[in-house]
Amino acid sequence: MERDIIDYALEYAQSKKVEYAEVRGQSQALDRMVLRDGILEAYAKAVDSGFCVRIMANGGIGFASTNKWSKSEARDVVDLALKYAGAANRKDKLFFAKEKAVKTSWTADQKKKIEDVPTEERVATLTEVNRALASCGVKIAAATSQCSINLITKYFVNSEGSRISSVVPKIGAYFFIAVAESGKTEQASEQFGYTGGWEAFDEWKIAEKMVHDAKVLRTVITKAKALKPEKMDLVCGPEVAGIAAHESCGHPMEADRILGREMSQAGRSFIYKGGPYWIGTRIGNDAVTVVDDPTIENSYGYYLYDDEGVKARPRFLYKKGVINEFLHNRESAAKMDTRSNGSSRSENYDREAIVRMANTFVLPGELTDEELIEDVKYGVCMKSFTEWNIDDKRFNQRYVGREAYMIENGELTHPVARPVVETTTQKFWTAVDGVSKKVEFDSATCGKGDPEQGAQVYTGGPWLRLRAVFMR
Amino acid sequence: MIDAMGKTEEIIKKAKALGADEVIASTVFGKYRQIRFSNNQIDITVAWNDYATDVILAWKKRVVATQIHNFLESDASLRQLMKLVKVSEENPTFGGFAKGTFRYAKSRADKKIENLENLTDHVSAAIEAAKKEAGSKVESGGILFAKFENVYLASSEGPTGEDTRSAIELSIRAFSEREASGHGVECSSTLRKFEPSRAGAKAGEIAKMAKNPSLGDEGVYDIVFDPLIFGSLLGVWARMASAYSIMTRTSIFVDKLGKNVAPEIVTLKDNPAPYSLSNRVFDDEGVPTRENTFIDHGSFKTYLHNASTAKIFKTKRTGNAGLIVPTPWNPEMEPGDASREELFKEMKRGLYLTNTWYTRFQNSAKGDFSTIPRDGIFLVEKGEIKRSLKDLRISDNALAMLGNIAGVSRERQHVHWWEEADPPSLSPYVLMKNVHITKSK
Repeated sequence: MERDIIDYALEYAQSKKVEYAEVRGQSQALDRMVLRDGILEAYAKAVDSGFCVRIMANGGIGFASTNKWSKSEARDVVDLALKYAGAANRKDKLFFAKEKAVKTSWTADQKKKIEDVPTEERVATLTEVNRALASCGVKIAAATSQCSINLITKYFVNSEGSRISSVVPKIGAYFFIAVAESGKTEQASEQFGYTGGWEAFDEWKIAEKMVHDAKVLRTVITKAKALKPEKMDLVCGPEVAGIAAHESCGHPMEADRILGREMSQAGRSFIYKGGPYWIGTRIGNDAVTVVDDPTIENSYGYYLYDDEGVKARPRFLYKKGVINEFLHNRESAAKMDTRSNGSSRSENYDREAIVRMANTFVLPGELTDEELIEDVKYGVCMKSFTEWNIDDKRFNQRYVGREAYMIENGELTHPVARPVVETTTQKFWTAVDGVSKKVEFDSATCGKGDPEQGAQVYTGGPWLRLRAVFMR
Repeated sequence: MIDAMGKTEEIIKKAKALGADEVIASTVFGKYRQIRFSNNQIDITVAWNDYATDVILAWKKRVVATQIHNFLESDASLRQLMKLVKVSEENPTFGGFAKGTFRYAKSRADKKIENLENLTDHVSAAIEAAKKEAGSKVESGGILFAKFENVYLASSEGPTGEDTRSAIELSIRAFSEREASGHGVECSSTLRKFEPSRAGAKAGEIAKMAKNPSLGDEGVYDIVFDPLIFGSLLGVWARMASAYSIMTRTSIFVDKLGKNVAPEIVTLKDNPAPYSLSNRVFDDEGVPTRENTFIDHGSFKTYLHNASTAKIFKTKRTGNAGLIVPTPWNPEMEPGDASREELFKEMKRGLYLTNTWYTRFQNSAKGDFSTIPRDGIFLVEKGEIKRSLKDLRISDNALAMLGNIAGVSRERQHVHWWEEADPPSLSPYVLMKNVHITKSK
């Protein structure tokens, strides 16, 4: 990355009639491995580096990016962004919420440096999962996996005096298995993510997890029974609690969505000014507090400053069952007459920063996992999920269980085949009456924006107990 | 101006000199312009100017890839890549890159799209058209996207060619009320055939009809799918026709070669024709693209292949090579002989669905999935739209749905939006029987 070009682009932009200008350089050193059935299909390695200019002029925003590092290119992209900002010709002029200038640099440390891990070891780390699967006694019909390692260097400057540098290594892995038994198949996938070094693999325990999944799928095929549709209690594992927190709390609390800026693609929100839900409205039981926190060290969604240079902090989205705080960038905060809470993220130099989640999870309660279950007379324990989705106002959602068991008189009895909970956000969070002590996280890639920007996030939570929900 | 073809060919020579067995380099100079708008106003205008050379090489059946962003750095990148390939692992199923020399169709890219700088008029035209249909209070949002790419491909195995690819698309969603919306798209490879007001008018028309929606009921319905929502299903089936989906057991078409998977009225093709947003004259191995019929009158005929998968399946490549795995470019459904109105009339009581999102599978080999219709959802009785509905979900099976197609319209539309109706497709109105609908309880 050539910082002098970035500084020059800002200087050149400031010589024009602009209300605001920023330049963000980003370099990504990316390694990617793709494996099928334990065979390395391809190993890709590349460096992608470029910068973008975002200008506000005449109440409009123009954005231009390039991967050519020269002063003449810098002038060209500034001129283009300025031209486009002016051409927006908005009736309602845009402006950004006020922020102090920040001069800092930050990094995410690696305990075991990725560059010290030889290629052979990287590949072997993945193929050993396939070896574990091959010897686990379950017939694996197909297994694919990917691993991506991304060393991200950023340099952000703006016309208000901010200068922020960062170096952040991100590692992600994805495994998919198909199990065949008695002429039937079941499938499972797991995603792993980490900010830091190669020590990620020590923490993930991928082989153990995938072998567990393989055995669960075999059990689903051979032993699981269908559920009789009716109202019953539901105990959700952290994976299910996490996806629900992400989909039916994090997304509807994105202020750009509430304001309609994503109305055509990712959609709007059931929360809107003048509607039945707003800040202060009850959406769930007292036991429910959902937080989005980018500052969790080594988490997949970790950052200390967002892509508008705003310091990151935890955001309490639903607090004791009440809608509490939206996720904001500077544009949405200005429209709602508040301050940004550091939720602006961009996935590369050629994408605008938009409002995103980081690590969204349900805060823990005081019960043990056993206490949650022992108080259920009749219900389902849904430990993990397969299919899921939610409508674009983030109100009607569905989670289909992968590993699930019947609970009868406080005891897990037999496995259940693909139980389904299909309910509304309000009903889901209101039904929660018990929350366990320990939070666990899963990694995910959250989709939003056009062109789509996959944001690395954690989803998570403790075990949740929901009373009297309809299951099928 | 850089001699991009010469530089791309130079990469091949350098890689061979360093010891690569086979190598492909593909350079793309791309100019991309986008406007995002919401609440009838432009939020941001975006410009990308990028260039990159994708290089994929093989040595002793080891396959590695990189991307070069500056020709001046190609020597260093190739040396690194050769270092990597020597410590990489063998892929015994790698069958080599496509071999041969080919003549390619002439690209029909529209230079006017390359020089298009003022995009705002197209956005205004769409917004105004939506207002004309649904009233001045309608709120519209969406994107306008234009791309122009110069592509230079060289391969050590023979293929060498140049392509120019142009595309322009507008996607607009209009809200007549908080929960009443319509979505329209306009997709073209040329500016001449691009009429953004058509998309705005369609979005506005659906939004107007969708007013005052009531909660729908669960059940089994006959459904008429609008081309936009059916484009989402075409994308699902086309991706599952990729040989890679078969090899990874993520397709309902495993073991279906030569078997009937749909009624005779169903013929599905993949064809990155000149009209398509996905227009291209060769694939990522330099094999000429072509029309591939993968379901012919209900019978499954071929998977979509690159050179390696064709070898594994002991068949011919189909011009569908992506950089690593075969991919569909532009699924098409052959037109039927019914009008849209005739399809509606065939339903005694059913639904008309216009758009969907968030399609997710429980098991992609079995085909069980759900997807959430959005924008206009309408109850149809005796061929007439009776009322607007909301909050329903299709919870069905992708193979069963293919088998339940009962009518196809003559009219087709080229559709694409976001990741939801992707890849771009040529999609008709379709009548499908016995579709399972669920809702929140």
